[in-house]
Amino acid sequence: MSFSDQLFAFTEWLRTTSLVETSLSISDHPLSLWIASHFWAIPIMQTLHILALCAAFGSVLMINLHILGLTGKSRTLTQTVKRFQPWIWSALVVLIITGIGMIIGEPIRELINPIFWIKMGLVILLILLSLWYHSALTRNMVQWDMTLRARGGVRLGAIGLILLWCVIMFAGRWIAYAPV
Amino acid sequence: MFLGQLWESLQASSLGVFVAESAWAFPTIESLHVIAIVTVVGTVAVMDLRLLGLTSRDYAVTVMSRDTLTWTWVSFVLAAITGLLLFTSKATSYMANPYFLAKMAMLILAGLNMAVFHLITWRTVKEWDTSPVMPTGAKIAGALSLFFWVLVIFFGRSIGFTLGIYE
Repeated sequence: MSFSDQLFAFTEWLRTTSLVETSLSISDHPLSLWIASHFWAIPIMQTLHILALCAAFGSVLMINLHILGLTGKSRTLTQTVKRFQPWIWSALVVLIITGIGMIIGEPIRELINPIFWIKMGLVILLILLSLWYHSALTRNMVQWDMTLRARGGVRLGAIGLILLWCVIMFAGRWIAYAPV
Repeated sequence: MFLGQLWESLQASSLGVFVAESAWAFPTIESLHVIAIVTVVGTVAVMDLRLLGLTSRDYAVTVMSRDTLTWTWVSFVLAAITGLLLFTSKATSYMANPYFLAKMAMLILAGLNMAVFHLITWRTVKEWDTSPVMPTGAKIAGALSLFFWVLVIFFGRSIGFTLGIYE
């Protein structure tokens, strides 16, 4: 079975779940009706979503490229994390709020969409991995500042997190093209 | 008109037809375009906020520039290549779309702003490199850059909702 066949099958299954009723009842909500009747509501929410991504991914790059020795060489890792970490979590809040806004605006397009759920799964994976990676980093940051680049696992984590962010952005754009 | 013919031959080219007709090409290139733009604006914003004196005040401006500019340029090249590929799929529709034209205008203004900053304001950078207070020229450059890039993203996203309705 090809990947797109699997996506079709996933969609078929989503259509048998109570998500259909949930989506329909969301789309009857005044907020959803308001968004649907205002042409610019969705483009503006998408713009804010992408701007929050800029803040988050820019910060993710500054931290993880530092770990890889590709930027921020005149700073310690502790300084770089302190500078950029808060932006990631603040941006995540904006991403979640605008994301919820887009679901309310177009519940069927999102909730009955296999790529939307793949993206959500990856987002949860990303959050858990980031928390785990960050806690390992903070516990050892002071000692690691010196030997960081020599540690294969640390490098792999940094590359993996950057790639996972890219895959999630990729999936985000593909929500619009899902075979539903 | 000569340019009109250029756009038509571009979208009639085998590349243009491929991007337009392939089931996966446009969404894939568009996804890469989004990742590239997010990287451009994400790294540009780090520098702009430093120029505004809002963040990283303990970080020399020249060092911040070195840390971000390479990544800005690498991702800008990727954004330009993917953007050009997307453009070939429906060149005449893009050229007829006011949001596409507005996005290009904002890109040019962002570029001019950067050029003015580097050619004029940057000449005295040694005097304020490590200062927490930025000269007015640097602050204006940072503010304008953020403004233009936010609009690049807004107009860019608007194209997807309006393409084809102005022909």
